[in-house]
Amino acid sequence: MKKIIIAALFLAGFFPAYAQQQEAPKLYTLPSPFERYTHYLATARVVGAVPLGSFADSYIDKSSFRNASISIEWVLRNSPFSIGGEIGSTYFQKRIPRTLYQNGEGTISAVQTRTLSQYPVELFGNYHFLPKTSLIQPYVQVSGGISILDNVLYYGTLSSQHQKIAPKYGIGLGSKFLFKKDGAVGVDVRVKYDGTAYKHDYIEKGVSSVNGSIGLFYRWW
Amino acid sequence: MFKKASIFLLIAGLGMASCSKDPINDLSTEESLVYITNHDKAANFKQYKTFSIVDSVVVVENNQSGTALTDIDKDVLTRIITKMQALGYTYVSPKAKPDVGINVTWITNTYLNVVSQPLNSYYGGYWGGGFGYGYPNYYSYYETAESYWLITLLDFKNPNTVDKTFNVIWDAQVRGAGIGNRQYVDTMIDSVFGQSEYLKIN
Repeated sequence: MKKIIIAALFLAGFFPAYAQQQEAPKLYTLPSPFERYTHYLATARVVGAVPLGSFADSYIDKSSFRNASISIEWVLRNSPFSIGGEIGSTYFQKRIPRTLYQNGEGTISAVQTRTLSQYPVELFGNYHFLPKTSLIQPYVQVSGGISILDNVLYYGTLSSQHQKIAPKYGIGLGSKFLFKKDGAVGVDVRVKYDGTAYKHDYIEKGVSSVNGSIGLFYRWW
Repeated sequence: MFKKASIFLLIAGLGMASCSKDPINDLSTEESLVYITNHDKAANFKQYKTFSIVDSVVVVENNQSGTALTDIDKDVLTRIITKMQALGYTYVSPKAKPDVGINVTWITNTYLNVVSQPLNSYYGGYWGGGFGYGYPNYYSYYETAESYWLITLLDFKNPNTVDKTFNVIWDAQVRGAGIGNRQYVDTMIDSVFGQSEYLKIN
């Protein structure tokens, strides 16, 4: 009984003390350098892409996971915007079992391997919804640039190649997740629609796809 | 600080560059074969009854020709005779004035290529106007050789007497990786006849 009373007294004394405990007064109250300065942010992403629309219907409808990109951006001081550039590599491929194709007056029987490589070079702008101090930083992105296309259609081992530089654009929604508050490293997740104005052979209405990516970023000033 | 970031970008760059690809290296030999057939739309195949075939294969290599009769050549010729007979034609000796004659040719062409940069054809499309390109001699070149079978059906019944030619009323090309292999002879010959149903007269 005595023991319980002692314990109760001890807890009664301890809890109020714990509840009243306050954060130590800050000696230096400067905001983080990422708030104070325009800083750099580099991101490397691996990308999964799903073909859409007529590109999927008439040429390649198979999803691709052999894509990647790197970007560098300037996160502007006192502004929710950042601007930057991104280069990437995307690759679509589809195999069609042996089929007869009419080519003019001739008939071709072959196994088709359809491929499309793209090397986009883009400028982008991001609008961030939350301040730079936030651990989670969702953003919307608009991008535009060019895509270096390499379209190779194989009939068996014979190939027909078409290369072109075409304009491209993209609209994305994503978020950065910092590993720690005011830290330099984090994860970037983004879903982006990409469209390229390119027409050749089977591709009659451009190349469009939705791309989901996960990346790592590093920021510094 | 900046050094760390550079390494980071470099690793990302290497990761991208290592995604090299050869999209057709998983094709089987059979899948690699391509059959291309053409025929004279004006020709009425029902008018032909008899055929004959060359006794050996013409080998054309970079515009020099000779003849050959190896085991695979014999297989090809025999299989063509079998298929033609199945379509309703009668096999006769070349001296018996056949209605159609069949040539079988093995063609090898060697090409010289300039290593293609991704930007070439873009600028090529722009700088048209009938000019070729003068490549400096320190550019890279590579040579490719391609062989294929060419089977042609000649109309002996209606020769073009004005310019002394026999019209080619049907031809077939077989290209791909397995064309020099005896194992694929039946597949090749059956396929080119199989996709040319208009040849059937019975």
